[in-house]
Amino acid sequence: MSVTRPWGRLSDHDLDFASTDSAMGHAADLALGIALARPDRTVVCLNGDGSMLMALGTLATAVGARAENFVLIVVDNGVYEITGNQPVAASGSIDYAAMAMAAGFPRVFRFDDAREYVEAVPGILERSPEAPGPTLVYVRVEPGTEGPISRSESEAARYLRVSIAEWSRTLRDALAANPA
Amino acid sequence: MGGLNETLRTLAAAHITHVVGLPDSTSAPLFRTLTRHPSVRLVTVTREGEAFAIASGLWLGGARPLVVIQNTGLLESGDSLRGTAVRMAAPIPILVTGRGYRKMVRAGVTPDEPRTSELLTRADVDSAALLTEPTLAAWGIPFERCEGEQSPAEVLARTIESARSHQRPSAVIVARALD
Repeated sequence: MSVTRPWGRLSDHDLDFASTDSAMGHAADLALGIALARPDRTVVCLNGDGSMLMALGTLATAVGARAENFVLIVVDNGVYEITGNQPVAASGSIDYAAMAMAAGFPRVFRFDDAREYVEAVPGILERSPEAPGPTLVYVRVEPGTEGPISRSESEAARYLRVSIAEWSRTLRDALAANPA
Repeated sequence: MGGLNETLRTLAAAHITHVVGLPDSTSAPLFRTLTRHPSVRLVTVTREGEAFAIASGLWLGGARPLVVIQNTGLLESGDSLRGTAVRMAAPIPILVTGRGYRKMVRAGVTPDEPRTSELLTRADVDSAALLTEPTLAAWGIPFERCEGEQSPAEVLARTIESARSHQRPSAVIVARALD
């Protein structure tokens, strides 16, 4: 969840979606659903390590569903940032890239330095005919100080200023109106 | 018993694009058929909470999903169902298979009987069955129980229409095999 405010500072697009005031741990599977509905588009999910741990089974589900257009980015800061940076269980010991490979992800990228990730992004987002199937990207980052995030008019990001029900309809309409 | 072919016809008439869930003995015939269905895509999850998030995502993308899970999985899904389909007001129809419903009927437990600790720990009743309808009601999810000689397909059709017309999840509880 801690990525939603920073992303909102970078992007203001109807095709963005914040898994805020939603279900913890279910950003990846919700994004997977969008990917399955729209195989013509690449769907990118920015998922925290804490969120990923809550629903590890989604790794298997994504592989089983053969979601070739699904890019799952695990942003690992090792903490629950929005509640004050308490450490995630086994932080620093978990190899998310290895877990993804073991689950059968055909494309797995690992970046312990975010600067290397930045350079690799264009290639990651290109679909690979040689390795169809979901993509997992692991990026290690330093903890931030975003704090609690909510949906309210006090938030700067447009997609956080309305209810998730309202924004869901904005996204749904945008997807319907914009073929890839 | 029966109703698989009618259920498949209901899915076709409602233009269901995806079935998302986990099979049990009641829904196993449906899952088996859907593994090779020409137009409905089956998405098997590892835990039922994923089903509601995936179904909500499918809806966002313009698809028309149906969630098929056992009542035990419904209970496990709690926050996922709340935070996705309910909170998003997504028109997700849910087919809930009712483990323990026959035992509950045989034990003479009625829907309005208080779910006390004594009742929930009785060996002759299944607590999953006892808690299914109170849980759906607590979450504000309208539901219909397929009973007696009712056609599961007909009740499912009403559930799908209810979800779509009211733009929120709706459920049907089926306690007999779909074969």
